[in-house]
Amino acid sequence: MTALLETRGVWQRFGGLVANSDVSISVGRGEIVGLIGPNGAGKSTLFNLIAGVLPPTQGSIWFDGQDVTRMRAAERCQLGVGRTFQVVKSFETMTVVDNVIVGALVRTTVMREARRKAHEVLEFTGLAARANVLASALVPAEKRRLEVARALATEPKLLLLDEVLTGLTPTEAQTGVALVRKVRDAGITVLMVEHVMEIVMPLVDRAIVLDLGKVLVEGKPADVVRDPKVISAYLGDRHAQGA
Amino acid sequence: MDKNFATRRRRDLIIAAVLAVVAAATPLVVKDVYVQNILILTLMYAALSQSWNILSGYCGQISLGHALYFGLGAYTTELLFTKFGVLPWFGMLAGGLLAAGIAMALGYPFFRLRGHYFVIATIVIAEIGLLLFQNWEWAGAALGITIPVRGDSWLKFQFMRSKLPYFYFALALCCIAWFVTWWLEDSKWGFWWRAVKDNPDAAESLGVVVFNSKMGAAAVSAFLVAVGGGFYAQYLAYIDPESVMGFQFSLLMALPAVLGGIGTLWGPVLGAAILIPMTELTRSFIGGSGRGVDLIVYGALIVLISLALPRGLVSLFSRAKGATR
Repeated sequence: MTALLETRGVWQRFGGLVANSDVSISVGRGEIVGLIGPNGAGKSTLFNLIAGVLPPTQGSIWFDGQDVTRMRAAERCQLGVGRTFQVVKSFETMTVVDNVIVGALVRTTVMREARRKAHEVLEFTGLAARANVLASALVPAEKRRLEVARALATEPKLLLLDEVLTGLTPTEAQTGVALVRKVRDAGITVLMVEHVMEIVMPLVDRAIVLDLGKVLVEGKPADVVRDPKVISAYLGDRHAQGA
Repeated sequence: MDKNFATRRRRDLIIAAVLAVVAAATPLVVKDVYVQNILILTLMYAALSQSWNILSGYCGQISLGHALYFGLGAYTTELLFTKFGVLPWFGMLAGGLLAAGIAMALGYPFFRLRGHYFVIATIVIAEIGLLLFQNWEWAGAALGITIPVRGDSWLKFQFMRSKLPYFYFALALCCIAWFVTWWLEDSKWGFWWRAVKDNPDAAESLGVVVFNSKMGAAAVSAFLVAVGGGFYAQYLAYIDPESVMGFQFSLLMALPAVLGGIGTLWGPVLGAAILIPMTELTRSFIGGSGRGVDLIVYGALIVLISLALPRGLVSLFSRAKGATR
């Protein structure tokens, strides 16, 4: 079977800065893939290219057998790409359930159906008790979960998670990890950007390491963390020689 | 949860029906023509503000140029009536459609602007419209158009002996604008608009076509305002550019909603019910040259509201109930 998501030779330049150079990755159906790398490696840029925030300078992006390179974010969402934002972007003046209804409306225009779906997703993400609270009243960890809930309400085939586990307390992070597993078990493919290695590595099936805009290494998490190239990218050459 | 929501929606509808019936009965008590005039204007501005609220309140695209659509409605109605004998009913409809079309044509470039730049663009465009009409000879230029008296008739929407027909039309317009808002509030469009207002990037990622949402809101908003403009022209029986397209109309549409609660169902009605009588009364107590004083009064009121109750007067009610919305 073909991969669910594929980037083929993707380049992104911002003026003289090359954020992504010749990045070709693929994500198979049902996988949890971690996109990792040190700060400035081009993870967020690649993430935004996949989500459709901006088109790549060069190369193409394929989703579910279709070329989506020129499609806008809203169209990709209709095809089945859901995403969260690293800096949470809740609809602050709306209640939690209304936030999620916005997502559900991609699949239906019947309000009753959208509302039912929204409550179902809130149940799934453990936010049901907060349904009628304004989004602005949520604590940061809940806002992260709301981001996930909203994206899930669009019934994605691929869920893009942008550092959803970063900056959480260990307990919150564990709840988050459990949620990501639950999402995958529901049949949704997950691509997650993270830089907290110890949280991501046990969770993902496969890790793709970016460095200086290029794919450095990809493979099983256990192999990736031992790879000298990865250690050197994170910690510098001196440490890599010891490995 | 869902029950609460459905109950609230039904409660809003019942309150509105009761208010409409009470309003419809007021002429039985209020015989004074001066007071009737105030009531008509209050209802009209409530309708206009409610319409403005769709684009600026719900969708968050603050327009200070809605006087353009108001004027377009007035001019379309009267030009069609005086030059071609088209009945004002069709004129109002035509004005509404024209305004909706122009709102979308203007939206095409301007909805790419964000925040303050968008507001400035709306002001400038409305001023350009005003200047065009002031210099357009065929449309009466600065002298305007006097609507010929053809006797009282519903068909020609013209009444000299009584203000009551105007009153009922204004009431109907107000009810329609309210009901359209009520209906849209719990629809895909309503949710899309609020999402666009709160965070366009997040909205886009959830499948909301931000640009189309804004266009839809602009069209509905402009249509209703232009119908109001057509009504106002018939009511005055005389129009000139300044008296139907002046900047004060843009303000008078925005202020009730801001006072009552921007982006809320009841805000515009509540705001208009307080603001418009106050304006009219201030104006008559201070005398003919009091034009500036009423502006000072509601300027002060707006400052007070933004400091003490930034979500408008309706937030007093939701706070009392302890509800989040």
